[in-house]
Amino acid sequence: MQSNEASSSMDVDTVSSKAKVLPPKPKFKPLKPHEMASGQVQFRKVSVPPHRYTPLHKLWMEFYTPIYEQMKIDIRMNKRGRKVELKTRPDTPDISNLQKCADFVHAFMLGFDVIDAIAILRLDELYVESFEIKDVKTLRGDHLSRAIGRLSGKGGKTKFTIENATKTRIVIADTKIHILGSFANIKVARDSLCYLIMGSPAGKVYSKLRAITSRMAERF
Amino acid sequence: MANTNNAGAEALRRLKEVDPPSLLAPNPTLSETARAASQYLFSSIRPFSQKCPLDQLLVDGYDAEQIWHQIDLQTQPLLSTLRRRVNQFVKNPDEIAQLKVPSSVAKKVEAKNHEEWEQESDDFDEELDEDDDDEDDFEGVEKEEKNGGSDGEEEDDDDDDDEEGSEDEDEDEEGEKEKGKGKDSGIEDKFLKINELNEYLEKEENNYENAEEADDGDEDSEEDDELEKAGEFEMDEDDEDDDEEEDEDDEEEEEGMENARYDDFFVGKKEKSSKRKDQLVEESEDSGDEDDMESNKQVCVCVCVYVCVCMIVKIFILKIKFSYPVFLYSFMQKKRTASTHEKQLEKIQSEIELMEKANVEPKTWSMQGEVTAANRPVDSLLAVNLDFEHNVRPTPVITEEFTASIEEMIQKRIIEGLFNDVQRAPRLPSKAPREVKELDDNKSKKGLAEMYEQEYVQKIDPTSAPLSSKDKLKNEASMLFKRLCLKLDALSHFSFAPKPVIEDMSFQTNVPALAMEEIAPVAVSDAAMLAPEEVFDGKGDVKEEAELTQAERKRRRANKKRKFKADAVKRSEKKARSEKKEDNAIPGQVNG
Repeated sequence: MQSNEASSSMDVDTVSSKAKVLPPKPKFKPLKPHEMASGQVQFRKVSVPPHRYTPLHKLWMEFYTPIYEQMKIDIRMNKRGRKVELKTRPDTPDISNLQKCADFVHAFMLGFDVIDAIAILRLDELYVESFEIKDVKTLRGDHLSRAIGRLSGKGGKTKFTIENATKTRIVIADTKIHILGSFANIKVARDSLCYLIMGSPAGKVYSKLRAITSRMAERF
Repeated sequence: MANTNNAGAEALRRLKEVDPPSLLAPNPTLSETARAASQYLFSSIRPFSQKCPLDQLLVDGYDAEQIWHQIDLQTQPLLSTLRRRVNQFVKNPDEIAQLKVPSSVAKKVEAKNHEEWEQESDDFDEELDEDDDDEDDFEGVEKEEKNGGSDGEEEDDDDDDDEEGSEDEDEDEEGEKEKGKGKDSGIEDKFLKINELNEYLEKEENNYENAEEADDGDEDSEEDDELEKAGEFEMDEDDEDDDEEEDEDDEEEEEGMENARYDDFFVGKKEKSSKRKDQLVEESEDSGDEDDMESNKQVCVCVCVYVCVCMIVKIFILKIKFSYPVFLYSFMQKKRTASTHEKQLEKIQSEIELMEKANVEPKTWSMQGEVTAANRPVDSLLAVNLDFEHNVRPTPVITEEFTASIEEMIQKRIIEGLFNDVQRAPRLPSKAPREVKELDDNKSKKGLAEMYEQEYVQKIDPTSAPLSSKDKLKNEASMLFKRLCLKLDALSHFSFAPKPVIEDMSFQTNVPALAMEEIAPVAVSDAAMLAPEEVFDGKGDVKEEAELTQAERKRRRANKKRKFKADAVKRSEKKARSEKKEDNAIPGQVNG
């Protein structure tokens, strides 16, 4: 904004008169991330659900180290409020780091593993998509249970198959489903999960997956 | 009765006297007289015919044909009776002499030639309603002649002669044509005499010539003759041979030959009354076949007269136009009895007529071309055998043999193993088989970040591809195989030439003694065991610590101390030496 104003002012100056001696062009350094939003420090607060409290407690250092050291974001746990707080530091290189860290913490809170969630920090284009079973098909009681069972498979087989085939990570939390991965992969994983919810057998979903993934692999 | 009889006789006489030309034109008065005459004849014969249902001939308002039928009714049974009588006479010729025969009339009649009878017969109309009348006439004449008191014997003789003559004629002709001509002795008989035959022949020829010359002039006489002949011809009741008379002409000879019988020639009498008329009338040849000769001269003579009268009457009623050539022609023709050739011709003619008729008529629907249902009668297809192509193979009839043959084939095939199984054609790989990425259903050990990292690296640097699953599997397989081989070798007691033992420093482990005692040592031999002296190298009495007395304990402790002290001194000395060396060395180094 300031640069624009400067340029416009400069234009105006040039148009108006040549006699005045213009002040030297201001040179501004690029804004530091923490200076953005008018130099105020930015926060992010991510609440911790109770079932993730203990795992967070266990894996705190794995949290802390990449965020503080690599992303240069301050992180602290507010125990009383059950919140994880993130703050930019003066030497945060990129404003998006904060958001990434927030996403990372949020992903962990959803139920993803740290090593999986870490990918958010490292890759730009990973997203988390969440939806519920009832969004796909209204199921009640036993049907719902069966649907959940279908999604997971025996010992999680089906879920792992989908994860491996589509390079995503899936978290099935009761009726909520969270998928972590790139946009296209999320789509494929979501479609497969939807088929499973709607009732097709796992074998059918596997064959579809196979076809899709082979096609996707051929592209590269 | 007498009046009527007289009237009838008078009518007859009048008919006789009638001018033949006047017969040509229809004349009602003549017709009336003819009818009256027929009635008279009918009633005169009536007493002789017992089976006849009619008492008198009904003439008023009746048709010619109806009158004829009445006459026929009377004469038919009469004929049969007469025939029987003739047969009797044939068997017993003596009886003939007993009969009375009117002479004059008979002679006259017989004098009239047979030839003319034959000539004129065919021309007459078939409807002879006056035949019976003629017969009646004849009977009447017979009575008159009887009344006249003729000499039966004479007449018999005459008749016989006449008959002989006629027979001679016939036989002569037949003899000429078929039998040997030179054999006179064979032919001549008491009946047949060649001289008489020749005479007769000449006579006949003359008559024929005369007849040809004078058509009109001789008409009357000829007519009479013809009438007589016709009358004679139409006498069925006399059982006479017309065939013999017919044979006089060439054409009829053959037929006469067919119908000729012994009786015709060699059994007296018999004027052959012309059957022609009867045949014409009845349209049957049977009338001509009169096998039995009537030996009754009386009857013959009367018959002749009757026949003549009948002819006249018939002519009146039927209004026939006479002409000799016509008669001749008709005579020439085969009357009723046609020859085989003519029969064939007739047959062919009828067939031709039929065929022509069929051709002219419109064809039947089945012979037309395309026929729709509207052009043929209802359900007419059912009657016709249609022939059309069946493009469908007829279903096979399942018999035991059929099934047996099938089963045989099956058995043979099973034995040979020659099933016509469809073999999948091997498909040539057009392109390299795509590496199928198998879905792994285990939890991935790599984190998501690592996966993406790998993916990125692959994209950037294709060469740094990680070990593909193939190689992994290979390694795994090779490892497994090695382990398996080891186990198998152990099972076989290592009975193979072992590798040369490389002498190198290796620790010898002390295998437990128990293992050694096993029968099948697995991988160890005695040689690997340590020797006892290697196990323990000691001297003296070796005692456990528990066994030691106090004194010995003290002694051991003392020894230990002494050793330790000695070692300590040595160590200190070493240290001193090493320190000295270092001190010496450093300056050495500084200097150097």
